[in-house]
This record gives sequence, C-alpha cells and structure tokens, in this order.
Amino acid sequence: MEFVAQQIMNALSFGAEYALLALGLAIVFSIMGLVNFAHGEIIAVGGYTMVAMAALSLNNPLIVVGAAIFAASIGAVTLERVAFRPVRYADPTTGLLTAFGVSIVLQNLFLLLVSPRPIAVTSLYFLEWPIPFAGLRISSLQLFETLTTIIVIVVMMLFLKRTVLGLSMRAAALDFEMVRLTGIKANRVFAAAFLISGVLAGIACVFIMARRGSVDPHLGFDPVLMAFVACVVGGFGSLPGAVIGGFLLGAIEVAMLVLLPQSLGGMTEAFVFGSIALLLIWRPDGILTPPREKGDKQ
Amino acid sequence: MLVVQNLNVFHGPIEAVHGISFTVKEGTCVSLLGPNGAGKTSTISAITGVAKSTGSIMFADEDISALPVETRIRKGIAVSPEGRRVFANLSVKENLRLGGAYNAANVDSLIAEWFETFPILGERRDQLAGTLSGGEQQMLAIARALMSEPRILLLDEPSLGLAPKIVTQIFTMIERLKEKQMTILLVEQNATLALRLSDHAYLLNNGQIVADGTAETFGSNDALMAELTGLA
Amino acid sequence: MTLSRSQKRGLVGASLLAFVLIMVGIIASYFGSKYQLRIVYGSYVSLMVVLALQVFMGNARITNLSHSAFMGIGAYAAAICVTPVAMKKISLPSAPWGLNAFALDPVTSAVIAIVITAVIALLIGLILARLSGIGATIVSLAVLVIVHSLFLYRTDIFKGNQAFFGIPQVFTLTSAVIIAVIMVYVVRGFKESRWGIALRASADDEISAAAMGVNVHRLRLLAWVLSCVLLAVAGIAYSYYLGTISARPFYFNHVFLTLAMLILGGMRTVTGAVLGTFLISFGLEWVRWLETGPHILGLKFPEVLGLSGVVLGSVIVLIMALRPGGIMGDREIEDFILKE
Repeated sequence: MEFVAQQIMNALSFGAEYALLALGLAIVFSIMGLVNFAHGEIIAVGGYTMVAMAALSLNNPLIVVGAAIFAASIGAVTLERVAFRPVRYADPTTGLLTAFGVSIVLQNLFLLLVSPRPIAVTSLYFLEWPIPFAGLRISSLQLFETLTTIIVIVVMMLFLKRTVLGLSMRAAALDFEMVRLTGIKANRVFAAAFLISGVLAGIACVFIMARRGSVDPHLGFDPVLMAFVACVVGGFGSLPGAVIGGFLLGAIEVAMLVLLPQSLGGMTEAFVFGSIALLLIWRPDGILTPPREKGDKQ
Repeated sequence: MLVVQNLNVFHGPIEAVHGISFTVKEGTCVSLLGPNGAGKTSTISAITGVAKSTGSIMFADEDISALPVETRIRKGIAVSPEGRRVFANLSVKENLRLGGAYNAANVDSLIAEWFETFPILGERRDQLAGTLSGGEQQMLAIARALMSEPRILLLDEPSLGLAPKIVTQIFTMIERLKEKQMTILLVEQNATLALRLSDHAYLLNNGQIVADGTAETFGSNDALMAELTGLA
Repeated sequence: MTLSRSQKRGLVGASLLAFVLIMVGIIASYFGSKYQLRIVYGSYVSLMVVLALQVFMGNARITNLSHSAFMGIGAYAAAICVTPVAMKKISLPSAPWGLNAFALDPVTSAVIAIVITAVIALLIGLILARLSGIGATIVSLAVLVIVHSLFLYRTDIFKGNQAFFGIPQVFTLTSAVIIAVIMVYVVRGFKESRWGIALRASADDEISAAAMGVNVHRLRLLAWVLSCVLLAVAGIAYSYYLGTISARPFYFNHVFLTLAMLILGGMRTVTGAVLGTFLISFGLEWVRWLETGPHILGLKFPEVLGLSGVVLGSVIVLIMALRPGGIMGDREIEDFILKE
C-alpha cells in the first residue's frame, strides 16, 4: 500500500514537471503555430542566471528563484522580438525550423561564452528534504513541484478566463486575424504568450536545478523533448492537453520504472517512447482530439 | 468620412480590385453591390489593412493607408466581417468583452445595453459563440463590432447564409443603427435590401465600379435592377 | 518514350549536376589528402541524405524530421548482415535470433537493408501520409526519438552509443560519386514525373487536387517510401565506408545539419540540395578549422569552441527570415543555361 502511494507521489511530481514544461510549449503553439524548440534554452538561461547570482554572492533563495524566473521571462520575450518576429506570419514549418536554429545558436553561445562544462548550482539544495508522512517518505521537492504546478494551472485558467489579454489569447488561437480586427495589438498578444512561456520555463528551471544541481549548455534538450512528447500525446496546442499529456507521461514513466524487471532497468526511455508510439498510432492527433476526418484542417 | 481613391487591392500577385474610388459621408449608409468575386470583400480587407493595397484611403481626413490593422481599427473603424467570424471558443459575453477591449470604461454598461436590445444574446450570454445559430452569430458579430463605439461600421455580407426571416431581423437592426446616425459601409449581394437602407450605392464588377448613384437612381433603372436582383 | 519539355530540361539539369559531382570527385581523388578524402566522402553521403530529403520535402512540402533515423535503420541493417561472423561474435555476443551467426555479401546485405527500411517506411508512412503539415512533422519527430531510443535500448543488436565495428569497408569515393549521380537522376526524375507534379500541386491546394481525382495520400506515401529507400542507401554508403557506426550520428545533430543544407540551397530544387550540401559541408570544415584557434598570418586566433554551431544555427535563422526559398528558390541549374 505504501509502495503504491509512494509511486503515485512520484508519478505526480514527474507529471507536474512535464505538465509545466508542456504548457510552456503549448501556449506559444496554440496562438502562433510555433513549436518553440528554443524553450529548453530559456530554461538554461534561468540556470545560468542562478550561476551568475552565486557568482555575485547573492545566495538568498528568494533572489535566486526570482532572478531565474525574471531572466527566463525576459529571455523569452527578447527571443520573440528578435528571432521570431520576422517569421511570425509564416507557415508553422518555417517557424519550427527557425526555433531549431535559435536553439542551436543559443546552446553554442552558452558553450562559447560561458563554458562547455557543467557548472554547479548549489543554492537550491535546501529545497529538498525528506518528509515522513503516514509512513511514506516524500521528498519536499516533489511536494513543492506538484503544488506549484497546480497553483500555476489555476492561475493560468483564471488569467485566460478573466482578463482581456487572456481572452484575446484564447481567441487568437482560433482566429488571430479577427483579434487584430477588434483592435487588439498583435505584438501584445505574442509578447504575452512568450512572457508566460518564459515564466513557466523559469519555474520549471527552479525545480530542475534543485534536483540536478548543475547547468550545462545542453541542459534544455531533454526537458524540451519531454515537453514536446507530452504535447503530442495530449493534442498539440491544446492547453488542457498539455497538462494531461504531461501527467500521463509522468505516469507512464513511473509505471515503466516499476514494472520493468531489473535487467531491463535502463530501458525505461525506450519503453516510454514505445508506449507513446502506440498511442500515436491509435490517435495520431493526440488524446484529446477525437479522430478527425482526414483532409479537413482547422 | 471615408474617402477611397484609386484603390488597387492585391491577393498575392493577383490584382483583385483595379483603381476604384468612392466616398462614405458621415451619417450615411453606402452600399457596395455586385456579384461574387467582384472585389467587394477585397475592398473591405484593404480598408481594414488585412489585404495589401495601393492608392489612398482617407479616414476622417487622415491617411490610414500605411497604418497596421490594429491602429486603423483604433481610429474608430469597426468591422463585422464576411462569415461573421465570432470567436467560437469564447462565450457570447466574452466575445463582447473583446470587442470593447480598448474601450475599457464603458464595457460592462455597453454589454448590459446590448443584452437589453437583444434579449437572445442576453439569454445565451454564457453559451459558446460557436453553438449559436447563424442569425444569432450575425447579431453577435455586429454587437461585438459596435462595442468599441466606432465612427464607421463596415458590414460584410450580413445576409449571407441566413433564412429570410432572420435577414429581416438583421436589417431591422441595421436600420436602427442608421437612425442613430451611424456611418455604415455595407457590402451585400442582396441588392434589394441593401438599397432600401442606403443613401448611396456603388456597383462593382470584376474589380471595377461600373455604376454609382443614389438608391433612387438604382431603383428607377429597371434594367439595372433586373440584373441586380437576378444576381441577388 | 517521349519526354515533356520540363522532363527534357530535367535531364539536362541532372546531367549538369552529375558532371559537377564527378568533377569534384575526380579532383578530390587526385589532389586530396587521406583526411580530405574522408571529408569529401562524408559530404557525398550527406548529399545522398539531402537528396532523399528533397524528394519528400520539396514535393510534398512537409518538413520531415525523421530522416536520420531511417538512415540509421539502413546502416544498421546492412551492417548487421554484412559483418563477418567472427567480428559479430565479439561485438554482439548476446545478439538474439542468431543475428551474430551469419554474414552475407555486401550486395545482398544492402538489398535486405533497403527492403527492411522500405517496409518500416511503408508502415509509418501509412499514418504519416494522412496527417496535415505540422502534424506530420510532429509525428516524424516522435519517430526520430523512438527509433533512436530503440537503437540505444537494444544494445544486444545495435550496441547503442558504442561503436559497432568490423563492417567491411567496401566503398570508396568512386562508389559514393556513382551512387550520388544516380540519385540525382532519380530525384530529379521524380520531380518532373507526373507523380511529382501532381504531388506539388496538391501540396499547394489539397482540396482542389482531391476534387480532381488526385489521390494525395497515396502520392505522399510514394514520395515518403522513395525518400526512405534513398536514406537507406545513404546509410549503407555510410557504414560501408567507415566500417564503424554508432547510434549517435543518427539523431538530432544530423537531422539539423542536413536540414540546414537543404534549406540553405533551397528545398524546392535538386540543384538547391546539391548547392546547400557542398556549401555547408565545406564551409563547416573551414569554420571548424577556425574553431581550433589556428595561426593565420602570424596571428594566433583564440579557440572558439561552439562557433560552428552558432554559424549553422544562424544560417538557418537568417535564411528563414530573409529568404525562405533558399539560395536557388525555384530555379534549377539548367535555368541558367537554357532559355525559358
């Protein structure tokens, strides 16, 4: 019984992180049709900011966390302004390739300008301590992560339902031109989308750093890949889909870890992706979208 | 209020409208008539800035031809586009809120007003706009456009795809707007209805203006009317 | 068989490209050092991949991100079949299904590899061909990741990131040039064939094409399988020269590199594929040389590790922003010589 509860906790925290990452990708895609592969590098920006904070001897955890989230947000908005604006109204493929290019450039800039080697980030170690709870040993980090993600999701829902900017973002996902025709500035909507994705990346960065303890130029690759898979599973571009996809991915990963015999231990990734493959065969458009009549687009 | 001169509208490399000129005086209703593909919607797109165009577009004595879409709208132009294009994934109320987005002060009172004028919209206030009937969506599109309290309203094919009874309702609504001195540019295939409301009308064909005059001029020209209603 | 006008032009264009490829090959063989020869061979393999990409992306107008995976499938399939038993017993001691107990000649192995790749391509293509633009791309990316993790997972067959060695090195630069030349004709031929034309027309307007009786999905599937077969050939060429392969080259970096080559040259034309490949292959070598901090005119340049990545990424971003059609746009090489 305790084992099951423990695994559920694991699945929740894994899922929470993937959901957070997936949301960052989904919000940009739903509005702009852009698969932002550079999202991983935004996370790395947060990580390197933490390094900078440590170098400046600013070890107050609130400052470190705040700086990381701030840097990630600014980084995301800057990327939009500089790299993505020229291809804003181009087809999704152009945007995807641009994002790929930006991602490679940033990874190599980190390599070039900072260091090819991992740099330790210890200021967040305090976040992790074991909490004994009803016979379970939960990591505090897991708890924080799950709670934070839930709060983030609630806040986002409120934002999207209650604020004009949120409304325009939802409308833009369906008919961007019409949003412009009601007088709402395109720049504002796009910048907002990227700002939100930057904030989400920054929050995810905090948890990733707390667990990893170090940052390197290719830090962003694995997270963005998982985010991408989670989005595909849930139906690319759908925000609830991103959340469901993230939690589902977390659940599958934990299930594989648990179910696979010891001898196949290192194969979890392969099995996870294998399950995803089966899912895609069944529902190529993702879980949330019902199997569509081929040939009709949005 | 709106003076268009020598307008050429382009869809990619194709020129859809060739050097047309027309005027919409303040407080009047002007119609653009003509068959499918005549260039009526292209003209509207050029005015809003969605389509590329050359030529001069003067709105309230200001040249707007170089301005981006949102800036033009904010000058006081509102549009109920072809196909209505309500935000299907938002509720009726949310649609209206977006329409009044930069008119922040009055939004709530305006929404209340619209719900009074059109009880149906009020009844369906929390319903997703995509689930409304065609006529209700058209009402919503017009109400949404008017939320910004514009100086001119561009109406593109309001009768399209609607049952005759509903069309009558919509046009009654437009008539009421006229009574309130709203400046309207109306694009319509249903010439009879359009002419009943308009002070002035232009007939487009193949991207050019082939006839223009007051509603009486059109009405008294039997040949023209036969052609127009044959097309309607 | 009478050729249409565009097909005749295509023949001229392909022959011009073939001439260029043969010339480069000859120059490299006579004047190149062993090291340079390897680089040139590598660029020809890249060319094969880029040509394969062009046949699908240039005609179906869908971005494919899984191509490196199919190259890997071809490479591994051929490698497993052709490597001598003695070698396999060392490198794959626990291979299942008796995979380490047989060895076939290079030709048979190549054929088997192509067939296997084609079958897998067909199965995946059945799903992919029915998806629209960005959806297909996204699924192709998933395919890349899945195939890669399979390579890593079954180390008993693939050896994962470790080197799978012992492949007989039966290919030389000449073989690569010959294959590349043949591919140029095939790819250009497809482009000017009625399938290629129909596919491009439907890529621009799917509904009208369907209304005219064009079976878009089948055409896409055709281009997809053709593309994957060519990728398998590229993979075979890769393993038959190097003698050693691992899972690493068949993943994101390679995807990105070859995509950059196609985009730079222009994905709509075969000439673009060739141009982009050579520009980036040789350009990158030059940048890599710069990276090491060389001595130029008595000045010591600093080591700038990562410069090649920055350059490559910037090329993509700039092309997408400024000239999405690539250098060649819609023009093939014969357009410079023949009148319209």
